[in-house]
Amino acid sequence: MNIRFKKGLFRDRWFTVGFFLAVFFAALTLFGPALSPFDPWDMSFEPISPPTADHILGVNDGGQDIFSELLYAIRNTVVFGLISGLVALGLGVLIGIVAGWSGGLIDIILMRISDVFLAVPVIMVLILIAALFRPAPLFLALILAGFMWPTISKTIRAQTLSTREAPHIRAAQQMGGSSWYIIHRHLMPEIFPLYLIGFAAKCRMAVFMEASLAFLGLFDPSRKSLGMMISYAIKYYYLDIWWNWLLPPIACLSLLIMTVTFLAISLEKVLDPRLKDTLKESTA
Amino acid sequence: MIDSINHCTPRWLGMAVAFGLAALIMIYLSYSLPRLLPGDFVISMYSSSQVTLTSEQETELRDYYMEDPGFFKYALRLAHLDWGYSYAFLMPVSALFFSALPWTLLLLGTAHILSMFIGFVSGVEVAWRRDSWLEKGMVSTMTILEGVPEISTGVVLLVLFALHLEWFPASGATTAYAELSFWTKLIDIGYHLALPLLTLILAYFPGNFLLARNSMVMVIKKPYIMTAKAKGLPDRRIRYAHAARNALLPLVTRFGLRLAFIITGALVVERIFSYPGLGTLLFNAIKARDLPLIQSVVLVSSLMVLAIILCLEIIYRIIDPRVVYEH
Repeated sequence: MNIRFKKGLFRDRWFTVGFFLAVFFAALTLFGPALSPFDPWDMSFEPISPPTADHILGVNDGGQDIFSELLYAIRNTVVFGLISGLVALGLGVLIGIVAGWSGGLIDIILMRISDVFLAVPVIMVLILIAALFRPAPLFLALILAGFMWPTISKTIRAQTLSTREAPHIRAAQQMGGSSWYIIHRHLMPEIFPLYLIGFAAKCRMAVFMEASLAFLGLFDPSRKSLGMMISYAIKYYYLDIWWNWLLPPIACLSLLIMTVTFLAISLEKVLDPRLKDTLKESTA
Repeated sequence: MIDSINHCTPRWLGMAVAFGLAALIMIYLSYSLPRLLPGDFVISMYSSSQVTLTSEQETELRDYYMEDPGFFKYALRLAHLDWGYSYAFLMPVSALFFSALPWTLLLLGTAHILSMFIGFVSGVEVAWRRDSWLEKGMVSTMTILEGVPEISTGVVLLVLFALHLEWFPASGATTAYAELSFWTKLIDIGYHLALPLLTLILAYFPGNFLLARNSMVMVIKKPYIMTAKAKGLPDRRIRYAHAARNALLPLVTRFGLRLAFIITGALVVERIFSYPGLGTLLFNAIKARDLPLIQSVVLVSSLMVLAIILCLEIIYRIIDPRVVYEH
């Protein structure tokens, strides 16, 4: 399962498209500041001017270069999504494995807790905290992660339960392998594909949340973000700026969410053991 | 039979307890978080808002907030619809809330029912025609649409149909100050509803479609479908009476998982089209930093969401008599 899945993934067209888009956005995230021609907080240019050779996408109402803004905004959104997704993944895997491996009372308690977290509408908690305390984006990303882990931990737990009974795990136990040894040597690599599925799905949710929160004006206004660029640009729709100011952040946001969606859908299709036989090639 | 009842009662109770706890957490957060604000509560709550308080109002407010009512009393106040007073809108919070609620319910309810219905029927039909060009095309289109967030669809529809073509109004839920008869008023409401509704349907429908199709593809392979075919039943009867009934289940269960996207999307779409529902109310409250209003809207709408998911859980048990509950 572990070695063969790479080949299977690239046979899926969605994965290939998603992968190359992801590489593109990763490059923009890494080299964004180096690529941007101006400082995105520099307000010294002619406000609301159309694109020129210097300013590829023109200048916004605050006299800031839109292209540089866009590069920083993509960077912020991607970083938010990755951090949130990674922390949610870490929590989900840890709790899922502990619950599935130990079973009994610990399992019941952990699963009830995740039911509670699953039910809380996380956007509302985020809005409340963001409005009251105006915390740093990193803090909001962590809170979001703190509410996103239950779906991951449930799938990981289910898979742990069935893998625990497998012959090779039994054999390892018979030979006196400790729980920790078996978990990190056998169990964790074996359910690795499930991490990827959970991670892609959570990143998608986090990017979507970040854009929406920024659009609603809940982040620090000086922090560049795709959602915030859209919400500023839409105020000037009557000025015929839609193609150089409104469209770029919309297109980037859609492409970004498409990237994670494609990856999430195709990973689930190719790697989820429960869907294996039913959803193979024909979905391409 | 007795065995199965014994089996499912604790599960059901477990769900109810989980939802009750989630509701308690939300109430407790909205009770305790504002109290964690540094410094004087009234100053920190109202200094950055766009209103100036008279000294009389200030002492009144301080009296209201400084006495710590205790969590129990706070919850009791909540149940009595005593949610405080919005100083940005100069109205009791509950009045603002209940004037915005019907619009949100209208928008979200219609969007949900329509996208559920369209997604389900098209998913079932497409899964039945497995491997045709129709299936491949639909699945591709829907996968792409699933990647387009409400912000983008909403803004594109607004710019295209409301601002450039001027076919639909760009904001509001009714024509302001218009004296209309009952029927023209209904048409007016529908006319204003069209664009936000279309945005939400475009956002929800692909997910429903993909889910319905995937579960239908699995159901079709089950032996009992073969039996039904062998009995010579008409196609449509097999499709809907036998297969689709079971394919409907994941749509209901996954609702809870998609919920985070649904609420967030609804907030954003209302803001884009300035639709006078809870999302716009919340947005205006955030802009004016009207904390009592933000606090109540957030809390009450999350409680309503919890109640809705709990109802869905119960409905799920009714439409699936097998009560298989996998974790």
